[in-house]
Amino acid sequence: MRRFLLALVLAAAGSSAAAQTAAKPRPAAPAARRPASAPAATKPAPAAVTSASAEALNAALQRADEAFAAKKLDEAASLYAAIAERQASVRALLGLARTQTQRGEPQRSLATLRRALVLAPNSEEVLSAYARVALAARAPVTAILTLEPLARVLPSVMEYHYLLGVALMQAGDMPSAVFALQDALALEPNRAVTLVALGLAFNSQKLYAEARAPLLRSLEIEPENLEGLAALAESEDGTDELASAEAHAERVLARQPGNSIANLVMGLVRMKQERFADARAFLERAIAADPLSGRAHYQLSLACARLGDTAGQEKHIALYRSVQQEVAQRLAELRGAGARPSAGMKP
Amino acid sequence: MKRLALALSFALAVAALLSVASAPDALLAQAAERPLFRDIRAEAGITFQHHSAPEKKFIVESMSGGVAAFDYDNDGKVDLYFVDSLTVDTAHNPNAARSALYRNLGANRFEDVTDKAGVGHPGWGMGLCTADVDGDGYEDLYVTNLGPNRLYHNNRDGTFSEVAPQVGVTAAAWSTACAFGDYDRDGDLDLFVSRYVKLDLQHLPEFGKGKSCEYRGVAVQCGPRGLPGEGDLLFRNEGNGKFVEVGAAAGVSDPRGHYGLGVAWFDFNQDGWPDLYVANDSNANFLYLNQKDGTFKEIGFAAGVAVSEDGAEQGSMGLAVGDYDNSGRLSLFVTNFSEEYNALYRNEGSYFTDRSFRSKTAASSLPYVGWGTALFDYDNDGLLDIIVANGHVYPQLDQARLGASAPYRQRRLLYHNNGDGTFEELAARYGEPLTEPRVSRGLAMTDLDDDGRVDLVLNDLDGFPQVLRNVLEPVGHWLWVKLEGQGLNRSAIGAVVSVKAGGLSMQRLVRSGSSYISQDDKRQHFGLGPNTKAEWVEVLWPDQTKTRLESVAADQVLRIRKP
Repeated sequence: MRRFLLALVLAAAGSSAAAQTAAKPRPAAPAARRPASAPAATKPAPAAVTSASAEALNAALQRADEAFAAKKLDEAASLYAAIAERQASVRALLGLARTQTQRGEPQRSLATLRRALVLAPNSEEVLSAYARVALAARAPVTAILTLEPLARVLPSVMEYHYLLGVALMQAGDMPSAVFALQDALALEPNRAVTLVALGLAFNSQKLYAEARAPLLRSLEIEPENLEGLAALAESEDGTDELASAEAHAERVLARQPGNSIANLVMGLVRMKQERFADARAFLERAIAADPLSGRAHYQLSLACARLGDTAGQEKHIALYRSVQQEVAQRLAELRGAGARPSAGMKP
Repeated sequence: MKRLALALSFALAVAALLSVASAPDALLAQAAERPLFRDIRAEAGITFQHHSAPEKKFIVESMSGGVAAFDYDNDGKVDLYFVDSLTVDTAHNPNAARSALYRNLGANRFEDVTDKAGVGHPGWGMGLCTADVDGDGYEDLYVTNLGPNRLYHNNRDGTFSEVAPQVGVTAAAWSTACAFGDYDRDGDLDLFVSRYVKLDLQHLPEFGKGKSCEYRGVAVQCGPRGLPGEGDLLFRNEGNGKFVEVGAAAGVSDPRGHYGLGVAWFDFNQDGWPDLYVANDSNANFLYLNQKDGTFKEIGFAAGVAVSEDGAEQGSMGLAVGDYDNSGRLSLFVTNFSEEYNALYRNEGSYFTDRSFRSKTAASSLPYVGWGTALFDYDNDGLLDIIVANGHVYPQLDQARLGASAPYRQRRLLYHNNGDGTFEELAARYGEPLTEPRVSRGLAMTDLDDDGRVDLVLNDLDGFPQVLRNVLEPVGHWLWVKLEGQGLNRSAIGAVVSVKAGGLSMQRLVRSGSSYISQDDKRQHFGLGPNTKAEWVEVLWPDQTKTRLESVAADQVLRIRKP
């Protein structure tokens, strides 16, 4: 699921919210609650751009943009960085952040965007970019803190509700994620990736029957969507339709043998069939694909116990506990940061 | 416009989907097909009301109280005891809460005998369990509290004396559930007490302040997460009227302080030695395997009963033990917090499998916070059904966006056993006594009028209880079996009664402490379906000796004394 969440983020990152809504008049974007790590706006801004230097700036930015478009990422980064050093240019910082993201440097990209936020704390473009990069950098709390005000002030922008939903899923707050994804679906009902995300969020809350409708709809739109198919298999396992669950999971595995959810479903089905050795094999593959799956670790510990493998059972219980701890820590972080608290967890 | 219409229709479809998830209770308030329960509280003369602070600003104001169904005066009719609680504001005045003992007069009438009995003011009451602790033939009453617990010794004249300090079972701190059982098989009854949170009334966590004091953006009481947990206690009966606390030496003291609630002694692996299950709130549950040498080994994870099927620690509250599939093994049903599922753990002999979703008991439980519960046969068909008492802990919840959660006041869940490993949730079919939104806690099953149909008694938080008389017609034949043990276990706690009637093979366990901090009737009920007699009734006594009766007529309360 974590891998799929990343895919959801990347899918979303491909389209720009600003571009989608450029023609719509919008209220001013809100100031997101500043993440603790963001610098305060006390640093003196670089010199203001005069009209004479504006032309030179535009030319420099154009060169950097061209380098980026030509996938000369090192050159683009260097050009953007140089401009940002000389001028108070949000556009240069955005370009630099985009380049750093492309180079697989999300943490550096986040740092660059924090500099942009200092210059333009209410810029929708900067906030949106910051949230996306935070998601890609697996910093969901930062993303949530940025996206919540965006979604609230710009309620007609589907993208922000969707990204907020994904961020909440990443943070482990599935009930709140459902709300956000439903808000996104209300704006754009036939978006397969949102439907799949909603199905996954329902599955995560064990609302397997509720997951069925959005997942089936997503498969009507994209019949070969493997993530949707795997999530459907999971919901079928949850409602004890083992034959369908197995068939759908096998369909996924035929094309994507390492799919974590499909392997997990097969493991769960085999556990119910008391075919513990088979279950162990599937669950090991699920964990190889998603080492942070607490459910897979826990079920694997049970499979080991049933097979008399005490060492394996204890190992996976320990791993399960560390995963649980990480999730709890993230939720505590989320609550402590003042974002909407977990709806599914008793305080 | 067409696109807009499509969008709207989809939005409506999503809304409809959600309405299923949140299961609005109003939709369930449909006319009952045929009556199952009738609430006879008022006409029975039961005026008890549980008290708590209206806003429940502190967790200790949300967890009480238990209810007991037991025959304290040995007149053959089951009496009732309800536990009341104080509040932070009334903590200084123990008389502000009045627990109540009601004597069953017959014909569904009760008399308040609390003052005469001397059991009205145990303190800040939580739960209870009963047993004949000293073997004098009369049931004694143990009440758990925030503060010292009470052991009310039955004086056999309608009065009780509080003897906890003399006997050595006072405990302290915040106790919740309790259960007597003979874990060392020395013939006398030992006592396990679960405890919850370390709480200092002088330094209470401030309402709504802190990471663990919010729920969906709404300020609520703090805890249990974020508050220090309290360890549990095991009192070994020395056989001389005194108890000694041996929890640490026995390995059941929970030094890490899980938030202990429901408890059950039961021999899950049928080796003749009572094992112990502890339901913990927001932590993994414990299954202590009896090592037969006075110690236990905690095996909850390996046995598959510690957490949910995806490894999540659940907010476990109450539990029921029973052979729901007539497999000859005792399975577990555990109630949990909302957005978690109530767990049905099927006993496979040496471990358990989580059958919650497969049995179709899980999904319908997700919106509710479950507390008291029982595996009981309401229609006498020989299959154990399930009842769950629900109610949230945060009155402030109703201001929040609920999603898949039910509001503060919640209906009850009734699952009919289909006999094939699955259940069907039928509360709506039977109408208001089950669908009325309430905030219930303790639950006990019994038969108040000995008509062979199982009645239920529920203690609500901050409100009147429910006394649900079973009026279902028609129902199958039945047997109630009342055991009388020997020596210092006259209550026969730990005995297993088996009945064979036609195609039915059933077994029941005699337990002290049940449900959520409550006490079921210790008589054992068997629905016999169309069978007018049982081929045999067999008792496996706690010392592993057996008594067997052949060809037993149905529709009677059968008394069996240990030879």
